[in-house]
Parts: sequence; C-alpha cells; structure tokens
Amino acid sequence: MSAELRARVLAAATAEPSPTRAAVRRRNMLIGMVAAASGIGAFVIFAVLMSESHLLRLGGEVVPQQRLERPVWLVVATVGGALGVAATGVWLALGRGRSMLGRSPRWLLYGGVLIPVSLLVWKVSCSLAFGDAMVAWPDRPGERCLSLSLLVAVGPLLSFLAIRRHAPVQPALNGAAIGFAAGACAWVAADLWCPVAYVPHLLLGHVLPLFVLAGAGALLGRTLLSLRHR
Amino acid sequence: MERYARGDEAAFGALYDALAPRLLGFLRKATRDACAAEDLMQLTLLHMHRARGSFISGAPVSPWAFAIARRLMTDHARRRRVEQRLFSEARADDDRMAYEPTAATAAADDVLHARRLEVRLRQRIEALPELQRTAYWLLQQEGLSLKGAAEVLGTSVTAVKLRAHRAYVALRAVLREAGEPS
Repeated sequence: MSAELRARVLAAATAEPSPTRAAVRRRNMLIGMVAAASGIGAFVIFAVLMSESHLLRLGGEVVPQQRLERPVWLVVATVGGALGVAATGVWLALGRGRSMLGRSPRWLLYGGVLIPVSLLVWKVSCSLAFGDAMVAWPDRPGERCLSLSLLVAVGPLLSFLAIRRHAPVQPALNGAAIGFAAGACAWVAADLWCPVAYVPHLLLGHVLPLFVLAGAGALLGRTLLSLRHR
Repeated sequence: MERYARGDEAAFGALYDALAPRLLGFLRKATRDACAAEDLMQLTLLHMHRARGSFISGAPVSPWAFAIARRLMTDHARRRRVEQRLFSEARADDDRMAYEPTAATAAADDVLHARRLEVRLRQRIEALPELQRTAYWLLQQEGLSLKGAAEVLGTSVTAVKLRAHRAYVALRAVLREAGEPS
C-alpha cells in the first residue's frame, strides 16, 4: 500500500473538519431541545387555537345530555405510563448499545411491536380501572387525535433522524424505530388532550399515527440515514 | 479511535495504519478493481472521520469500518451497473493478466493444476450469492468474529453461520471435484 495513498487520505481528512465527541454532544442536546420545543409548540397551537381552548381535557359530552368526566388520577396514570413507554422508545431508537452499528434488527422489531401494544394496553387497562371512560363517543371517531399526533410528532421525528445521522446497517428499520419513538412522544400529548378511551377511537386516533410515523420514518431513514446518499 | 473521537487529530494516522490494509484487501477482493478499492477505502475512512464525534467508547471498530465499506461498495456496484446500462460499456476483464503463466520453478503439471484449482475456487466464490460471499470473506479472510460479521451484515449470528456454512459447502464441492482433500 503506497505512502502516496496514505498521504492523500490523511490530507482529505485534514481538509474536512469533523466534530469531536464534545461538539456532537452539544449539537445533540440542542437538537433535543428543538424537538421538545417543536412538539410542545405544536401541541399548544393545536389544542388552544385549532380546537376548544383546552390543553387538558378532563371530560365532555358523550352525546347530548350525557356528560363524562375524566378523573385527574386517570390522566396522571395514563400520561405517566405513556411517558415511560416514550422514553423507552427513544432510548431504543437513538441508543446504539455497545456497537457503532446500532441495535440488532431483532431489538428494533421487538420495539416496533411492543411500543404500540404497551401504549394501547396501558391506556385501556387504566381506563377500565377508573370506571366508564371507555364508552363510545359518536362525535369523536379519532380524526382530530390523528392530526394532533401527526402534527406533534413531525418535529421530534426530524430531530431524532438528525441526532441519529447515519445507520450503515438497516437504515430503514432504524428509521421506522425512530418513527415509533416520535409517535410514542406524540401519544403523550394526545393522551393529555383527549378524554376518549373507546377502543375504535384509540385505534384510529392514537395507534394509527404510530404506524404512519413508522412508515414515514422508514422512508426517511432509507433516504437520510443510508450512507449512499452522502 | 477513542483518542480520535476525543479530538486527538494525530490519531487518524494510527487508525489508518490499523485499518487501511484490511479494508483495502477486502475491497480489492470484492470489487476486483484496484482503483475502485482505493477510492472506496478512502471514502470509508472519511466517513469514519466525519462520524468520529458519535463514536461510542469501547465499541469495536472493525465491524463498523467493514459495514461502511460494504455499504459503499454495494452502492458503487449499483452505480456502475447503471452506468454500464446507460453507456453500454464493456466490462473490463481485470483478471486476465493475473493468471498469465510465470516462469515455472516446480513441476509444470502441479503448477497448472494449482492454477486451475485456484481459478475454479475463485469463480465459485464469485458465483456465490453476495451475502454468502461476504460472510465467507469476513470470517475467513478478515478474521472477524461471528458476532462482528453479524453486525456488519445486519443480521443474526445464526444467519451468518448458515451463510458461511453454505459457502464452505460450495467450496468443498469444488475441491472434491478436483480430487483434493476437503
């Protein structure tokens, strides 16, 4: 192997400054703050301006003359559990374990199954324990929660992709895991705002966005995380 | 790599010395094109240079380097196929010169037999599916562990074992046909 080739590679590296670990950590913290701000901002805009001026909805009219209240402890329990799942999802999607190549496909697939299932099971089981929050709300099929979730998740999705930067192996699968993580974060916002725990509503308004975001994450991951596009 | 991730610029030279020969060997065998292999090796090291800030303390470096090299090589091959389709360029036969007979010092028959066997083995390796061929190279030629090869290929250890086993079976069949002990 020639000394000329060595000199050429070293010169190319010198000519192109790259961030050190400390610089990357600072950049990632900044992107994380942008993700949180964009998610919270989107949630506030949606909840205050686009709907009925409620950041936290504790109840509403199921049908005319029938009103249902959501206890604060139910909100605390469901949001707390969702926060835990969202934190786990972010750890799974952005953490790479002890390898530069990220988590194994098996772990990512487990995450893709367990995140939606655990969020739904937690929400339903808490709602069952707290009484009759699971009645059908004919006026609320779930399309507003769907749009809220997607709106809230856009910022975190893009920010998480920027933090991950590249995945030499399985970029689409890593992107899908990031989509699930962003969706789990949006689930927390939807859970705060929405008092409905009727299962068809949950499937359309709360679970479907997770899969939409995972699909979008897979497509974006294939494009942005893959090395071939750099 | 750890020193380089922390900002020690001089460590890149040491990283180059440790990785470049292995990467170049891997890429030369895979591409059969010395110029392309050098370019891809340079790109691989530059990718590692750009991503040094995200290096995880204590993470193995070789599987990462080989995964980047493999990804770039796949992309390079894809682009070359597209270019060949577009411009109808004939594929260069790089191997032709490699098998020109040299001055024989041992018995001519033995040399001829060894050359033929080598050619057949090489052809069989090249005819293997890409995943089997890469698993074989990473384990046999580059000396990666099963776990390291599994990380490079983005699959499980069991799948790597299976792919390498199939490659070994195919190569043993060539040796048996040639009357060699397998």
